[in-house]
Amino acid sequence: MANESLKENRILATPVVVFLLAMLGFPAVLDLIYSVSTVSFENLRDPTISGFGNYREVLGDPYFWSAVSFSTRFGLLTAALETALGLFLAVFLAPLIHRRFWLMAIFMMPMIIAPSMMGLMYRLVLHEFVGPLPYYLFEFFGESPAFLSPQLAFRTLVVIETLQWTPFTLLLFYTAYSSIPNDIREAAKVDGTRGLRLFTHIELPALLPTLVVAFGIRFIDGFRVFDNIYVLIGSGAGGSSTSLSIYIYTAFFKSADIGKALAASVLLFVVAFGLLWLVGWLLKKRRPA
Amino acid sequence: MVMNAIRWLVFAVAALVMNFPVIATIVTALKTPADVISNASLIPRAITLDNFAAVFTVSERLNIWKYLWNSLSASLIGTILPILLCLPLAYAIARRDFGRDLLLPLVVNLRAMPLIIFAIPLYMMYQTLGLLDTRFGLGLILAVVNLPLALVLLTNAVAEIPRELDEAAGMDGARTGRILTRLTLPLIRPAIATTFVFGFITAWNEFLFGLMLTTSKAVPMTVGASFFFSAGGGGVQWGVAAAVIVVASAPPVILGLIMYRQIGRSMLAGAVKG
Repeated sequence: MANESLKENRILATPVVVFLLAMLGFPAVLDLIYSVSTVSFENLRDPTISGFGNYREVLGDPYFWSAVSFSTRFGLLTAALETALGLFLAVFLAPLIHRRFWLMAIFMMPMIIAPSMMGLMYRLVLHEFVGPLPYYLFEFFGESPAFLSPQLAFRTLVVIETLQWTPFTLLLFYTAYSSIPNDIREAAKVDGTRGLRLFTHIELPALLPTLVVAFGIRFIDGFRVFDNIYVLIGSGAGGSSTSLSIYIYTAFFKSADIGKALAASVLLFVVAFGLLWLVGWLLKKRRPA
Repeated sequence: MVMNAIRWLVFAVAALVMNFPVIATIVTALKTPADVISNASLIPRAITLDNFAAVFTVSERLNIWKYLWNSLSASLIGTILPILLCLPLAYAIARRDFGRDLLLPLVVNLRAMPLIIFAIPLYMMYQTLGLLDTRFGLGLILAVVNLPLALVLLTNAVAEIPRELDEAAGMDGARTGRILTRLTLPLIRPAIATTFVFGFITAWNEFLFGLMLTTSKAVPMTVGASFFFSAGGGGVQWGVAAAVIVVASAPPVILGLIMYRQIGRSMLAGAVKG
């Protein structure tokens, strides 16, 4: 009986396992083999194993390190801004949204739109001749900055990413906030706790897990950013807008530097996997179930 | 009272700023070419649908019908396949705790993996298998992208069905396969609908793999839209370019606005479990 149900369980799990092995497992093995090979588009089918040259090349490439730095700063900054803004809007606007949930639909609009389409929209919005934003800035302030110049590209991209994904954290915080039992608030009010004190002492601690989740998810998505940067700037702006994803893409498709692109992929894989494992381990340690 | 007025003000400003590019794009799409060049403000002097007519006109270089069809078919594959694959596993996890310790976290963590690390080997693999620049090949990778959310939503849904129902059916001698198709499947229909809508939006909006794994025959709408911005002789026609963004974004936005309540909830499920 027990044996039979184990067999059955394995059958139930087979579709996903086979699919993952084919679509990700095999590519991961290719990643590893090719990253220690000398490979070009000419000998794609039979690469020659050549040791860790690709890794040395990547680790010695200043552009790689600037991409790592870009992605890390971009991920941290956008996650922090989105979390702070989303938390503020969710709590401050909760009385409005509570009565009319359709207001949320207006906020959700940006995050239903593809990041690539959002990027294209900003190409229009920021365009110095046809863009409405420079137009109104000229109208009211008499000048408009070059948003996508190497000096400003990072800041512009951070704002664009933040504006598109603050709705996501807003939604998370609103749901968590409205699920705090009202008795807790009432009890606190009876004790004379209200206003800002109510928020910092009672509500904020209750929102802390959501805060961690929101920051974590947004950091991951910010770190691997590609679409909006690609359509907006490409790999241009003197490397000032090169995220790690853009770096790998450019190394492969533009410079045909396959070995380097693969070595960078493996490094990213190892770091991402290590971090996820660490987070999972920490969560398990905190909640011995 | 004053507080409420301030709240409405903050709402209006936040909503306007976040949706500014959407508003600007729609307005530009409705402007005449002369207006686009001479008047960058948000108030058009005349309104026209010519830009949309131009978007849907097939030229040697651009064919929006093809992009729409590619996106539709690849997204359908990328949405239905994960549901079919995950349903049995979701049952095993929710009912027998099989795979809860290893498979579930593994799949869920995919959500956090930068998928570009698989893009280059997939490109090589697809080249060998002849899947490069095919709707099927694109659909397969979209299925990978949708796998984590499908598994989480379906596992939660199965777990919510009272165990007694399964046990009663098992008592009557029904085999697992039969319980799954006759009992579980009809009961989790709402979760399947949510998974479908959410997955479809994600698949339609995907850009990176569309860019890397297609070149001409299977180009999806998101990548095709960016072609309108690379000027083919004469500069970018901004009115037409704006119209193409509107068209490319319409399917997910319409779906999303109809289902915004469910999307809100499923986003939460994905976030909390992930």
